[in-house]
Parts: sequence; C-alpha cells; structure tokens
Amino acid sequence: MNDIDTEHPLDLESKRVSVKKPEKRYDMQGEMPDDKRVQTAMRNFVRDFGYIAATYMESCIHCGACAHACHFHEASGDPRHTPIWKLEPFKQAYKREAGPLAFFYKALNLKHKVTVEELQEWQELIYDTCTMCGRCTLICPMSIDIATLVGMARHGMFQAGLVPHELWAVAERAEREGSPLGATPKVFEDRIEWMGDEHDVEMHVDEDKADVLVTMSSIEIQKYPESMAAMAKVLNHMGLSWTFRTDGYEATNFGMLSGNSAWQKDMSMKMINAAIACGAKLLILPECGHAYGALRWSGANMYGKPLPFEVKHISEFLAEGLQSGQIKVNKVDRSVTYHDPCQVSRRGGATEAPRVVLGALGADLREMKGAGLMNWCCGGGGGVLTIHRADDLRHKMFRIKMEQIEATGAEDVLTACSNCRQNFDDNQEYHHWDKTAHSLLDLVADNLAE
Amino acid sequence: MDLLTFARGPALQWSVAIFFLGVLWRLFGVFLLRRKKDYSKPRSTHLWRGAVKGLIVHLWPYKEFRPKVVQSYILGYIFHIGLAIVVFFFVPHILFIKNIIGVGWGGLPNSFIYITGAVTIAALVAMLVKRIANPVTRLLSNFDDYFSWFVTIAPVVTGLMAAAHWGGRYEHVLAVHILSFELLLVWFPFSKLMHTFFFVVSRGTTGALYERKGTSA
Amino acid sequence: MAKDDDKEQTLGEVLRQQGVSRRGFLKFCATTASLMALPPSMVPAIAKALDKALRPSVIYLSFQECTGCAESLTRSHSPTLESLMFNAISLDYQETLQAAAGTAAEAALHDAMKKFHGKYLLLVDGSIPVKDDGVYSTIAGKTNLQIMKEAAEGAAAVVAVGTCSSFGGIPKANPNPTGAVSVGDLMKSGQIATKPLINVSGCPPIPVVITGVLAHYLTFGEVPALDVHGRPKVFFGETIHDRCYRRPFYDQGKFAKTFDDEGARSGWCLYELGCKGPTTYNACATTKWNGGVSFPVESGHGCLGCSEPDFWDKGSFYAPLSTGHWGTAEGIAAAAAAGAAIGIGAAAMSRRHQDTISKEE
Repeated sequence: MNDIDTEHPLDLESKRVSVKKPEKRYDMQGEMPDDKRVQTAMRNFVRDFGYIAATYMESCIHCGACAHACHFHEASGDPRHTPIWKLEPFKQAYKREAGPLAFFYKALNLKHKVTVEELQEWQELIYDTCTMCGRCTLICPMSIDIATLVGMARHGMFQAGLVPHELWAVAERAEREGSPLGATPKVFEDRIEWMGDEHDVEMHVDEDKADVLVTMSSIEIQKYPESMAAMAKVLNHMGLSWTFRTDGYEATNFGMLSGNSAWQKDMSMKMINAAIACGAKLLILPECGHAYGALRWSGANMYGKPLPFEVKHISEFLAEGLQSGQIKVNKVDRSVTYHDPCQVSRRGGATEAPRVVLGALGADLREMKGAGLMNWCCGGGGGVLTIHRADDLRHKMFRIKMEQIEATGAEDVLTACSNCRQNFDDNQEYHHWDKTAHSLLDLVADNLAE
Repeated sequence: MDLLTFARGPALQWSVAIFFLGVLWRLFGVFLLRRKKDYSKPRSTHLWRGAVKGLIVHLWPYKEFRPKVVQSYILGYIFHIGLAIVVFFFVPHILFIKNIIGVGWGGLPNSFIYITGAVTIAALVAMLVKRIANPVTRLLSNFDDYFSWFVTIAPVVTGLMAAAHWGGRYEHVLAVHILSFELLLVWFPFSKLMHTFFFVVSRGTTGALYERKGTSA
Repeated sequence: MAKDDDKEQTLGEVLRQQGVSRRGFLKFCATTASLMALPPSMVPAIAKALDKALRPSVIYLSFQECTGCAESLTRSHSPTLESLMFNAISLDYQETLQAAAGTAAEAALHDAMKKFHGKYLLLVDGSIPVKDDGVYSTIAGKTNLQIMKEAAEGAAAVVAVGTCSSFGGIPKANPNPTGAVSVGDLMKSGQIATKPLINVSGCPPIPVVITGVLAHYLTFGEVPALDVHGRPKVFFGETIHDRCYRRPFYDQGKFAKTFDDEGARSGWCLYELGCKGPTTYNACATTKWNGGVSFPVESGHGCLGCSEPDFWDKGSFYAPLSTGHWGTAEGIAAAAAAGAAIGIGAAAMSRRHQDTISKEE
C-alpha cells in the first residue's frame, strides 16, 4: 500500500467524502503473525489502563441497559451491538493483564486469551458500529464512559493493524498530506482564494500576527467551502484581527478516530504551533464534532501543558459575539430544529451556545425530543461515515433521526458539524428525504446586519 | 465441632478476613493505577459537586430511557432495598452486627422481614429470568453474573427456610444460612458484587468529568 | 429401696404393694401416653403391658458427674409418679442411693450383672474419661471405662441419663483434660459393646422424661424413635423456642434488652439476652419442672441449651444466638492490611508492566 493515491483514491463526488469503495478490502494492515498481532493489541490495550478506565471496567454489572441507548443496537437489534460488548476484548486485556486480580485471571486462565479472529470480529464492533456518541453513558446505572473506552480500545487495534480499510486509508493520508480528504495546503489556499472571489469577502491567510486563528475541517474545504467565506464574513464583520494558516488549518483528527496517538498528536500540534506562531489568543474550531473533542479537551494533553490560547467551537464563538453585541444579525423568520453534534453537545459541553445563536436570530426553535444531552447521534461520527461496509446500518439507523426531526414539524434543520451534514446529505439522497442539515455558521453569515 | 459452631466460629472468622483482604486488595489495586493529569481548560472546577450530582442523577433513569429500563430499575431497587431491610432490620442480624461493631438499633417485626425476604427472592428470580430471556444480557452474562446471583439469593432463601423451620433441623439450616452468607463474603471481593463500592467511584468519576466539560447532566 | 428377691414380681404387683390405686396407675399411664404423644386409645394397652411387665432390673452407674441427674430424679418434694416409677423398678445398684458400701456394694453389682445378664437395663450418668488409660476416675480400683465395658456387655439396653453420658457434658468442655467421652462415643469407637442406646440429655434431664422413656421401653420392649443425637423424638422433637410461651414476642420483634427492663418485666422474648431456645431440643417448655411449676425461660432466664452437645463450648450464655464467635480482631486487621498491601503491589506491578510495554513499543 505504498501508493495510496492509486490504491485508495478519494471519492469527492459522492454525498459522503471518503475513499472510493474498495474492490478488495484490506482490513488488516502490516505483515505480522497472528500471535504477534494479538499480543500487540493486548499490550497496547494494557497501556491505556489508568485509574479511570480501570474503575469503569470494574463497575459494569452486565445489565445491558446501554443497548437501549445505542442507535446501532436499536437499528439492528443485534445484541453484539450492545455498547459494553464492543469492549469485550479490551475488558479481557484488563482482567488478564492490568486489573488487581490479573494474576488470578492469567494463572487460572479465567479469561481466555483473545484470538485474532475475535479481534477481527471486534473491528466491526469497535469501528463500524460505534460513533463514540456517549449516549450509553447516560443510561448506564454506573455511568460508564464507554465512548472514551472505545477510543482507547482503538489504540490497540491500530497498533495491531486492525483498522477498517477506509479509516486507515484516510488517517494515513491525513498524516502524510495534512488532510484526510485531499485538502492539502495548496488545495486549501486555492479554495480560500476562490471563495474570497466568489463571495467578495476579504480573506486573511498566513498572517504573521493575528488575535484569532481560524481552522477548518477538510469536509468543509472539499464539500462545503462556503463555510470559509461565512467564517471570513463574520470575523470581518466583527472587525477582528484573524487569519487562516496553511501550516495549521486542518481541524479533523483521523489520528484520534483511527486510534493512532502519535498521529493524533501530530495533527493537534500543527494547529497549536500555528496559533502560537501568530500569537493568537483564540483558536476557533470549525463546524466539526470530533475536532472539538480532539483540540478543546485533548489538545492540551497532547501539548503536555495548558494551551496558551483559548479554544472555542464556532457555535460558542458566535453565541458570545451575538450576546456581546459584536455580531449583529437580522431576524430569521423560519421554524428550525437543531441537531446536536454529539462531540460538541453531549461530550463537549457546548450545548447552550447554538440555542443562544438561534435565539438571537429570532428563529422559531422547535427542539427534538431529548435535544441536547439526550440527542440521538446521526450515525456518521467516529469515522463510521468513511466506512462503506457500515453503510447499510448507517442508513437504517438514520430513520431514528428522520422521525425525530419530522416530529418537530420544523422547516429547517441546522447543525454545527460538517460531518453530520455529510451524513444528512448522504441519507437525504438514500431515503429521498426532503430535508437535510444546514450550517449554523452559514445562517449567521447570511443574516449579518450591515 | 458441629456445623453451627463451625459456621459461627472459624468459618465466620475466615470469611470476614478474606472479605476485608479482597475488598482492600481490589480497591487499592484500582485506585493506585496511573492518573493522567488533564491539562485542558475546565469549564467548571467544582468537580466534587459534579461527582455528587453524577451519583444522584443516576439513581433513576432519565425520562427518555424510562420506557426501556424502568422495569429493571424497579426490580433492582426492590431486591437491593429488600436485601438492606432483611440484612439490617432483622433483630438477630442486628445482634450479629452489634456484637461486632458494638452499635445496635431497633429491628422490624419478623413477619415484615419474612414478607420482605419473599419479595426480594421474587425480584431476584425475575431479574434472572430477564437476564436469560433478554438476548443482550444473555450475551453479556458470564459465570460471575450467575454465581453472584446465586450467592446473593442463597442467604435469603436459607434465611427464610431457617425462619420457617423448613428443610431440616433448625440448627443445621441456620448453619447453612450462615455458611451461605459466608460464601457471599468470600465471593464478594472477587466478583461483580464489588459494584457495591465501584458504583460510587464510577458515577462520581463521570459526574466530575461532565462537570469539568460543562455537560449539562 | 426395693432389694432383689428371688420371686420376680410384675410391675403391677409392685405398684399395688406400694399402695398405688388402679386409678393412680391409669393416670400415670395416661400421662405417659400423652407425654409420648400417643393417642388416648393407647392408654389401656399401656396399662395392660405395664401391669404385666416383669419388674425390671436396673443398674445405675455414675462416672464423671455431679449427681445432679440423680438429684433431679429424687428431689421431688411430693410423691410423684416418677418417684413411684422408680420405686417400682429393681434398682440393683446406685452408689448414691444404695445402703450398701465397699465390697458389699461391688458384690451386689456383680450379682445383678450376672443374674440378669442380657436382661438388665443400664442407666449411666456422667462421662467416661479415656485419656491416660482412664485413670482420672476410678471406683474400687477400676477405671470407669473398665466398669462401663463390663456393664455394657450384659445390658439389654443403655440409657444415658444427662448430658455428660449422652454427649460428654461439662467434663468434656474445652480443654477436656480427662479425655471425657460419652457412652455413644465408646460404642462408636468399639471400646464397649454396642447396645441399644437412648440418650436422655439435659443438665439435668427432666425427671418425667426419664420415666417416660423407661415406661416406653417397658411397654413396647424396644427403643423409641430417636433423633440425630440418639434422643427420643417424643421429648426432643421440638425446640424450646417452638414451644415457648414467649414466642409471640419474638415474632413481633419485642425483646427484653436487660434482665430488669420493662421488656423483661413484661415477659418479652429473651433472645437478645442469649436464650438458646431456638437451637435447643427438649421438653422443658411443655412438661416444665418441679411438677409443672415453671421452667427457666418462664422464670426469666434464657435457655442455656443444656440438652445439646457441647453446650458449654458454644459461646457465652448471654450472647445472642445470632452472634458470631470471634477469636480476636487482630486476624481481621492483619487480613485488611495484607489486602491493602497486595492491592498496592498489584497496582505497582500493573504500572511497571505499562512502563515496560511503553519502552518496548
């Protein structure tokens, strides 16, 4: 798999951007004997067991409640899609290798050693059928943070070369090219220029000094470039000193999603270094869910100390601007509903911000049942959207979302995650639905009061 | 030495010793694992408040989940509360505890205890039926789940048998009752029963994490 | 004391000689029947059998004992049916009661054993020491074990009177310096001949229980149904607790907390004061003592469990039944400390394991 461009060409034309559907799947990376693969996975699982993971491992009472909170299980009815079951090999590694009773478990072989076949089976459970949306934590009587544990389990899976074909391909491309979806610095720069011309908006690129560093997700750069124009419009409207930087623009983090911690760090450090280089006081993260978790909550830990600047999701930034009066908008006379991106709302804590924005716009907000904390994931996060193998279930699962939205009777659906938008677009096409999700940022930018 | 003397003497001493040994082993073994420092800027620093909130919020399922899980919660509460009543409010049990810790309290009438015990058994049996009937829990369940169920229900059943003078001579049934409780003590630290302690830590940990992130839980 | 004469009398004859009326005899039979839970229709049959029964020869041996059992049987202030019953039997040897002493007494014993070989009933009170060849208790230069061995040989049946001969009793209590054992133990270990054995335990046993057992044996010529401890089920079938008049208070959760509190005065359950009624099988609560006057629980003290094996070694008489027997708390403390240490070790090992992996990867 040396020539990734020819072996894993990107498909930028479909509603969902990923590598083209592979004719032959390579779901096992690298050459190593089965024993070694299992051992590598187990050893890397073990590395992650700190106090928190251990507490969660110890607490599970096998009540199975989490199945009911999981959209994958609710859509498939397959008991294997029970969230905690997705961690079974991880749990076995804990019991055998890291827990306080590991000696017993190992000496008496109370938990058998995982086989490579089991790990292959679990690849589907850990990657294809978990968006790490964290809804299961809320139903869990022990409130086990299963999403975080799945994220940890992916580390071992990656090291053992057990990542789904497409997710591995885009992650590898991101590490090599700086973007998982072909949004190289050159492409990025071209597209900024194009959007600047197209929308007649002043763009700032690679400024030496700026108060605000703006980042983008490659989904937006490749599929929704208007977001760049919208971002520029808002920031210019506020009269802020801001810049895009070609050395730190990509906010998505497929290192994190695929489970490669070193790559995760590389990807975060590009943005962190760029922000430090231009002396930014604020780094704005784009409409992307996992980007928020990756930098807002994990960035400082990658950096190894507190970040010398603020990190805000665009919805948080817009809400503050609107509240402080720095952003002035015209009223929007539409009924809308807001789809919470899991990583921003439930797992990120920025739940109120979009409500503030929509309130300031005067939109008639009709919340879905369980909006905010309890919101159903759209089913595209955690890298699932890139995996062709996962399509059938993803489409099936989306019905939950459609029903929720239809029940509100709202005219428009808004969200603040370009990955969710992709998934909505893809499902709109698949289900021949009359709705899709639109960008909250676009809505603000389109209604700025001059 | 007759069975009752064995149960009340050496067996009790050993099982209690193993219980304490195992519980501390497991708690220390987990608590002293690495803690990574979190450098991200917290939205709130009142982590204790979040931990307590997490502990309380998860006492009962969220409205959205109730149709799916409330039945299990009710059954769970019935047998947990039932066990607590039977264990802590049956006069002979209180005397047993008083003998150890020196503090006693008022008990409840035996007839009430017997009814509670019967209800507890019914709830436990219902839980087991649910566990086996539901494909999800059937898949998740292992030996620990079934054996822990057994050691939990066994003292209640033998206790009621002793109270009803059924199943053999009273002192034998009483001895078996005590031994079944001792089996529970010995099994406890090495099984899922440790959730008695870990649920506090687990809920608290997530509660603190949510507070830190500002997730409105 | 009725001394032996050559003419063997029937029981009925003896009783009539003693001035017992027909009415009194039937009353005795009725009492015996009811005690043994036999239907009233059995009374004439019992009367007939007893009337015709030959006056039995009884040898009563005492070993390591306190004479309390014999006191219990004889210290009735009014002439009772039990005492009449005892008068009716041919008590051929009883150290405390017999007039003879020294070699004459020993001769009487041997005569009886010889004359009624295979027919006499052997009553034993006291446990038998076997440690150091049984030197701890001897009579006329013979160890108790030797005497017991000889006496058992020709006995038709053996009745162990009291807890010492039934289960070892107080002489057997920890640390049992004399190696005291019960009659049953001797039979089980083959040190004496195995004969039908009836344990009538109690410290002391209830007099009417002894006579009841004797009456049953004489009436039916066989050992009554026995429980796991070899005691007649009719008297030892139920616990004191089951038959206790204070039982309703137990069920209601009303307990006396001290011997002089309101609960004690109100006659509430004595469970918390250490009553062993629930695990003690005896007829105290039904037959009572001193001619049906009272029994320990009724007089305000919990049951000690004296009719049960090893009652002396089952913890304090005043510790509630449900309490455990704790050696010392040190064991628990040591276990807790060890647990913490192992836990710390396990965590340290786990950390080191992680470090090694991190270094190698």
